[in-house]
Amino acid sequence: MANDNLYEVWGDTVDSRHLLAAIAIGAACSLGTFFLAEHLLTGWVESSQMARAYAMLLGILGSLLGGGVSACLFKPKRHVVEHVADPAWRQQVIEELRSEYGGIGQLSDLPQEVRNELRELGLDRLFDEAEPGSEAAARTSTSTSTSTATLKRGTA
Amino acid sequence: MDALFDQVLVAVLMGVIGAVVFSAIGLISGSDETTTLAPLTLLVVLLGVPAAGVFTFFLAGAVAKHMTHAVPTALLGIPGDTMATPLMREANFLRNLGVPHIALRKMISGAVIAALVAVPLAVLFAVLLAPFGDAIKQAAPWVFLAAATTIAYFSAGRWASVLALLPFVLVILALQTLTGQHGVKLSVSYFLGIAIGPLIAALFAMLAPAERARMKRGERRTFALSPDVKGWGGWFPNPLKVLDRRQAGWTLATATVSSATFVFSPVAMTVILGEVVGSRIKHAYHRLTTVISVRNGVTESTYIAEALIPLIAFGLPLSPVAAGPAAPLFNAPPRFTVDSASGQVNNLHNLLSAGEFLAFGMLAVVIAILIAYPFSMNFAHRAASFVSRRISHEAVIATFVGLILVIGLWEGGLLGLLVILTVGLLGGFLYRFIGFNIGVQFMGYYTAVLSVPAIVALFG
Repeated sequence: MANDNLYEVWGDTVDSRHLLAAIAIGAACSLGTFFLAEHLLTGWVESSQMARAYAMLLGILGSLLGGGVSACLFKPKRHVVEHVADPAWRQQVIEELRSEYGGIGQLSDLPQEVRNELRELGLDRLFDEAEPGSEAAARTSTSTSTSTATLKRGTA
Repeated sequence: MDALFDQVLVAVLMGVIGAVVFSAIGLISGSDETTTLAPLTLLVVLLGVPAAGVFTFFLAGAVAKHMTHAVPTALLGIPGDTMATPLMREANFLRNLGVPHIALRKMISGAVIAALVAVPLAVLFAVLLAPFGDAIKQAAPWVFLAAATTIAYFSAGRWASVLALLPFVLVILALQTLTGQHGVKLSVSYFLGIAIGPLIAALFAMLAPAERARMKRGERRTFALSPDVKGWGGWFPNPLKVLDRRQAGWTLATATVSSATFVFSPVAMTVILGEVVGSRIKHAYHRLTTVISVRNGVTESTYIAEALIPLIAFGLPLSPVAAGPAAPLFNAPPRFTVDSASGQVNNLHNLLSAGEFLAFGMLAVVIAILIAYPFSMNFAHRAASFVSRRISHEAVIATFVGLILVIGLWEGGLLGLLVILTVGLLGGFLYRFIGFNIGVQFMGYYTAVLSVPAIVALFG
């Protein structure tokens, strides 16, 4: 569905015609309630300052009403897709983490509770395979991998 | 006894209203703290709500917003508000690893822990600083000048921002003189103009053909909404179990540090403390989850401390948060005032004691946690789905335009509206082109109101 009127305004996409209409609705609702409330309340509330404060409150509710009307009339210009983790994306995250300061690190450095958390999430294999150095050594012997980790930090 | 009971009742009621309203606002991406907290708090002040109620409304609102802002940040990959922007990197990594629910849970658990420790610490630091209060009040005009220059230098614009303070302050002084000639004295209009500046600048840019061509988009933006996995029974998971021991420890430590450093920008503190902690953690996964817990904790603790310390110790808005979102707690004429010449204040500082700040502060935090924490833990996916599919950006902009019109007309009629427009357009463009950010603009406003009269007196 092609749309020639899409613009990025204040951080999200809008349709310029809808934006114009929404601004008109917002202005009409908020100013309408504000002036109406001010007119009705001035005679009714004893202090004119309080009358204006209440009129402002109603005016703000009016602007919310304007927002609500616009939300009903104009649908969001967003594509929302249900996102399921993609193995390719996971691998890309690993690559980016590897290149940053500190690298991937060793699973054996982690406290037991964090390793359990990774296992429950099914991410332990991913990080295990991403470990620097020999995979087998890291997996079988905790003591040696701790010492290689120390060495690696020394050289980093 | 009855009076106390009434006071507590009002405080609880206003705290609940603040927490519910700002839990909802936190879900809407891009709903900046200053543009939402400042006008609504101002409204509560001007409606004559008792001091304790004003305070719990603001604090419960701020704390709740910084929990629910984790929902769009973690599940949609768009920052919930300004304070959520430093969390985007970690949130996106965890989202692409397929575990956004972990990002969400770590963030809000960090927020709970940090909020609980920040209130007593902020009150403690404020009481320690209070003896210097009189000296600082005497020197207030110069303190504001120094603070404005420092905050400007540390903004993205560096020296450009420092120099841009001059014309910006001049414009505010000129506008004040102009409205003064017509017997109109404005303050909220300046705040709103500054806070909403980026929107005003964007709407003007839309009208200019060249800028409009640059803003044109070929297609809709795509948002990937992540699935939600509930990994616990019951309603209220224990935040200390969601975080592991080291994460809880780092969150506590950084919350303590950020409660003391109340003069710096909250976004900067969030970034820096996250980096410090991240550099100390060896494993990449653990680094991601720890940094995200710590950073969201810091968004809570800096906000609490930056609002509370200046309020309790000095009554002067001497921090970026106090000058921005918390401004109506200090200055909301005619009810709350800060007198420029004498440094005399009449606001929450005089109305509540340090003990009351502590008690009502803890009350506000507990209310916010009881409402926002189980809500974001249990309904995150449904809330994010509703907001992204039903609330169009046009509707958000329409609401803000309505807000500008009402507040402007209410405070100063047509002149009020023109001031919002002028300040917003200037501030919005300065921010867009040289990084003269909103915090610097607020300090510029205070320089115009507080420092300039002192400078004129010195040379006059």
